[in-house]
Amino acid sequence: MTASPFEIEIPRGRVIEVQRDDTRVRWGGGLLRGMAVVWKHWKESFKLNRSYSQIHGTFTIEYPEEQPRIPEAYRNMPILLYDDETGHELCTSCFQCERICPPQVIHMTQAKDPATGKPVPAVAEFIIEYDACMSCGFCAEVCPFDAIKMDHEFELSTDDHTRLTVHKEQLLRPISYYAKIAPTMWAEVRESALKKLQGNVRRRPDVIGLAPQLTEKIAARRAELAAQAVQAAQAAAAAPAAPAAAPAEGRKLTPEEKAAKLAAIRAAKTAQAGESATPAEAAPAPPSPAPAGEAAPSADKAAKLAAIRAANAAKKAAAGEAPATLPVAPADGMAGDTPADAPPAAPPADKAARLAAIRAANAAKKQQSGDGS
Amino acid sequence: MYDMLTALINGALGWGWPEWALNLLSYILIVTIVLVVAPLQMLFFTYYERRVIARMQDRVGPNRVGPEGIWQPIADGVKMFTKEDIVPQAADRIVHFLAPCVVVAPTVLMFAVVPWGPGMVPVDLPTGLLFFFAISSISAVGLMMAGWASNNKFSLLGAMRAVAQMVSYEIPAVLSLIAIVIIVGSLSINEIIAYQAGLIISNRDLPGVPDLGLGWFVFTPVGFVAFVAFFIAALAEGERTPFDIPEADSEIVAGYMTEYSGMKFGLFYLAQYVLNFLLCAITAIIFFGGWQGPGVGWLYAQGITPANPNGNGLFNVLAGILGVFYFLLKTYIFFFVMVWLRGAFPRLRIDQLMDFGWKFLIPWTLANLFSAALWVAFTRWGPAEGMLITVGWSPVLRWLAAFVVTLAINLGVYLWLTRVYAASQAERRRAELEELSAAA
Repeated sequence: MTASPFEIEIPRGRVIEVQRDDTRVRWGGGLLRGMAVVWKHWKESFKLNRSYSQIHGTFTIEYPEEQPRIPEAYRNMPILLYDDETGHELCTSCFQCERICPPQVIHMTQAKDPATGKPVPAVAEFIIEYDACMSCGFCAEVCPFDAIKMDHEFELSTDDHTRLTVHKEQLLRPISYYAKIAPTMWAEVRESALKKLQGNVRRRPDVIGLAPQLTEKIAARRAELAAQAVQAAQAAAAAPAAPAAAPAEGRKLTPEEKAAKLAAIRAAKTAQAGESATPAEAAPAPPSPAPAGEAAPSADKAAKLAAIRAANAAKKAAAGEAPATLPVAPADGMAGDTPADAPPAAPPADKAARLAAIRAANAAKKQQSGDGS
Repeated sequence: MYDMLTALINGALGWGWPEWALNLLSYILIVTIVLVVAPLQMLFFTYYERRVIARMQDRVGPNRVGPEGIWQPIADGVKMFTKEDIVPQAADRIVHFLAPCVVVAPTVLMFAVVPWGPGMVPVDLPTGLLFFFAISSISAVGLMMAGWASNNKFSLLGAMRAVAQMVSYEIPAVLSLIAIVIIVGSLSINEIIAYQAGLIISNRDLPGVPDLGLGWFVFTPVGFVAFVAFFIAALAEGERTPFDIPEADSEIVAGYMTEYSGMKFGLFYLAQYVLNFLLCAITAIIFFGGWQGPGVGWLYAQGITPANPNGNGLFNVLAGILGVFYFLLKTYIFFFVMVWLRGAFPRLRIDQLMDFGWKFLIPWTLANLFSAALWVAFTRWGPAEGMLITVGWSPVLRWLAAFVVTLAINLGVYLWLTRVYAASQAERRRAELEELSAAA
């Protein structure tokens, strides 16, 4: 018998012969060597092994008594973050996570401004079905605001199935919690996340976007808003011509202001569009208290309409704010206020409305002069 | 037991009971002790094995039920009792029911001749060793019954393998024991233990050796070879891991136990562990002196014995405690070795098992038998038996000559046999490959 082949093809497949050193006789030494290996494992197993680079020693973590050391990137179930100081949630309800979720267990509704009905960069309700979540971590990966992160908590077993449909209040964790379980991962995104949050907070009216379980934070925010309203009212009262300032907030851009601005822009646009229109098409306009003061063609009308709308918006804003704030706020007095005779010291809401009206008037004037020439 | 009861009731208490009453009482006590001890040993062994094998695999093992998990076997037992007893529809119901009983009964019967300490043997049969091995073979019948009655191919395969393996490995086991029987000249287990008094060398061969209870057979070349061969055969007999072919769970589910559940399965399990205990015990008894150890012989000589009826009963108890301690220590060490082997070696193929039994162990033990005969010739025979070389030699010289000669023979045979065996195995592999090449 000479060299045996390494491979043989047989009808059922291929046989590969492992070449063993058959000629060497160890006289039982091979068996003893194997036993020596096992003996060493037995002997060393009475020591703990926590380095994971050694092959000897007991690796077992006696779980309920000892907690396993969880690596930072460990991911179990998604959670939402909120800012510790202000209580603002990082989530803006951009729907990225809901879209990417492979088992489609993320559901959310966007918060709406109760005054305008416009969406606000905050989330009203956020639900994750933990029972079907597969812990893929896509939601955390895709979130542009670093609002959704993967938790390290894994003791989730329960006998109550409905508890696995987790709502926003149970999902919310402070940023400090996440910074504790994943310090380096949070340090990487911290700056951009907080910056984005600040930007979003500015666009959130009232107490929208505050973590709902932080009742004292919400109460504090309400009190702050009320104090601002009082201040604004006092300022308005101090101003001579101001009939009643809307209890405008200190923030730069309230939805009311925005609406007014929008109206102005729209009016300007309409006016521009009116330039091309022929006078024949223009219908006689009813007399109006608009600053233009004359019977105007369609362009004029549009401008007037814009002014009225702006005024209404301002009114509505004032009316909407008034009951929410303090009864002392003299919000009701400004109902008949028109943009034209608004005082120069008017608070921002009024100012914006006036600005819109003026702009609209200008546009109308321009149109008229254009027509006349 | 009878002696102690006689001394206690008729001696110390002076009640004057008749002999038959004393006999009856002593046997009832003995049977009770044996029937309590056997399952307890099994319970302990399951726990012991699981803990030891876990450590060998860098694990912890069961440590939840009670301190360090000591009540784990109790929990397992409760589980076994509460499980449903399922009998397959196609099974032979009567045989299926009887098989576990037939397997368990011999293992408990084997306890009858196991001496636990000096004077602590239930029945001192003059043919104890023969009884032990004759009875142990009966369980093969039970295994075959179980395999056949289950009407399941895995069961039948397992039973076939079990019977083939037991029958094959009984031969080397018995051959290695015969070597010891030749030297001792008796089949009585008590005699075999008594022979192993002394110090390294038995003081029957060499009068005047101090009795430290260390004249174990394992220290002689004949005894050592017999021990190794017997222990390997015992592994096969007890279906321990390198030879657990009958219940190879990766091949044939659980062998003959496949169709058993609940307490019937539990009985098989019990039988297996009790058999393992007994095989470890008999290894300790025959090659490692059983309860022999430093101090036991001296203590027992002070106690109440048939030779010394006026001794002190306290020394009986002390000798008993020490003897049982030595005996159980040796037994548990052998069980540790069994678990160690389980941790170290993978399961053999059935052809490897048969090859090893028939082509290696049997020739080796046969050669050892020859060595044993030479040992007896050198140490005991004189001109009357035709042994003329040793005439005029001192006992030490005779013993030394026997030691050297048997050592040379056993070592030579071992080296030669391993060579031949390895060559035959290599040849077989080559032949198999050639056959495959031819088929291709």
